Amino acid sequence: MSEVRAAIAIARKELRTLRRYPLQSINTVAQPLYQFLIPSVLLGSTFMVAGRAVGFQASAGTADISGFLFLGAFMGGQVGAAFWGSAFAFRLEMMSGTLEPAWLTPTRRETFVVGYLLAWLLVQVLGGVVLLGIGALFFSARFFGAALAALPALLLVEVGLVGVTYLVASAVLLLKEANFFVDSTNFIFSAASGTMFPITVMPALVKVIAFLLPTTYALDILRSQALGTRLLLPGWSEYLALAALGLLALLAGRWTFARAERRLRRSGSLGQY
Amino acid sequence: MRTAIADLRALSAAARKELRVIRRYPALWAGMLFWPVMLPAIYVLQAHAYAGGDARALAAFLSRSGTAQLAGFIFVGWSVYMWLSLSLWGPGTALRQQQVQGQLEAVFLTPASRAAVLFGPVVAYLSLTLWMLLVTGLALRLAFGVTLDAREVGQALVVVLASTPAIYGIGALFSSAVLRLREVNGLVQVVRGLFTVFCGMTYPIVILPQWAQHIAYGLPPTYVIGAFRLVLLSGATLVQVAPDLLILLGSGAVLCLLAALAFHASERYARRGGSLVQF
Repeated sequence: MSEVRAAIAIARKELRTLRRYPLQSINTVAQPLYQFLIPSVLLGSTFMVAGRAVGFQASAGTADISGFLFLGAFMGGQVGAAFWGSAFAFRLEMMSGTLEPAWLTPTRRETFVVGYLLAWLLVQVLGGVVLLGIGALFFSARFFGAALAALPALLLVEVGLVGVTYLVASAVLLLKEANFFVDSTNFIFSAASGTMFPITVMPALVKVIAFLLPTTYALDILRSQALGTRLLLPGWSEYLALAALGLLALLAGRWTFARAERRLRRSGSLGQY
Repeated sequence: MRTAIADLRALSAAARKELRVIRRYPALWAGMLFWPVMLPAIYVLQAHAYAGGDARALAAFLSRSGTAQLAGFIFVGWSVYMWLSLSLWGPGTALRQQQVQGQLEAVFLTPASRAAVLFGPVVAYLSLTLWMLLVTGLALRLAFGVTLDAREVGQALVVVLASTPAIYGIGALFSSAVLRLREVNGLVQVVRGLFTVFCGMTYPIVILPQWAQHIAYGLPPTYVIGAFRLVLLSGATLVQVAPDLLILLGSGAVLCLLAALAFHASERYARRGGSLVQF
């Protein structure tokens, strides 16, 4: 119970810091909109025949380009929270010299990671809902009611994202200057999950990676409920794959984080950056 | 004459210092291998999804974009995006970096020309730009089989030369604004976002509504992308893109002048308020 309270306290501290930078919060919504969604929707318009996305209907199973992309951006935000939440927070703590004192408190190290993720997930979910609203209002995307049916999948995917956060946190702690690593892996992870296009058009190797990511299944279920696209796996097996891969990611993340922490203790390099 | 030579030496020293800093960050060079390839490649895959193997969709793209080279069209657009990003994150934030590191006041105390301080990073970042364009060209050739002959590459280099004052004018103007507004990340995103939405990096300008096309044609990167696509993908000659190049040279001169004026105003503001060392 005390660890839960600690995680909430850490999340509140993160949220307080984020509130001091309003432009950054606005960018949670604005950045995906102008950097990914609008260019992608406009690229899609270039291929339209008499106002219909005939090609996209064939490859994605829906002609609703905006709906497809806005749901992808929603999931991309969750992935971004998993990658950048802990990376930003750890980096900031390292640079301001507060990481070592924070780790001397009786709170478990793993709780810090969960606290950071909680704060960023909250921001990203709120930003994602605003994005979906913009999609529905201005881009005629149709998804809201049906997307609620995919709520269990959206909750289940968070287990896997906690695991991913542990893995990223380990990399940041060991690499020290990990911006490029986090940025590039976040991009690949997000794209391979199918946020920007259906995985049917991916090269074979990327397809294999896509099938190993829990986010691929969560997004697939979400789109299937909201847009009526065909599921990658039949029926409940998609939920099973999502749960199993999420659990695997969590275990791998915890194990890696514990190893990274032990290595930092031995080398005494926690305060270095 | 002696002053001009001293200014040139100061400019070269500022550029060398910036190059030395760039050299110390290998992640930056790794990024220059990763992003120019991966970012457009993802959009090429997206374009394939939009085409869906349907001949009618591909014909619609051809009629609107004027080329059937899907990968080339997207790579050219994103390479200009990368170039703008480099300009905004590099020269665009150089003054702010110096302010944060506490060097700006010391630099201002030297007799060096302010132009050297403002445009020195620009010269250094040209090397990164050429590296990025080379990586883009190689990726196009190796991954997508797009071959460019010597004439096309030569013409593209002329477009680079004509576009350089405009692109780095935007960077220098941005740098002066950041010095006053003291917010880097958010502003880079906003400025870059504006160009991404309006300048046709992933799409042909003709699909924009009329009001948005007017905005697009008021922004220099639109002409950079247009000229690149014409000489590299549509077989146009330099004579055919001459109007675009003239617009780029003209807007480059205006932007550099505006940047110098803005820099002067920011410096005066900072001197009066004593905010050169604040951040």
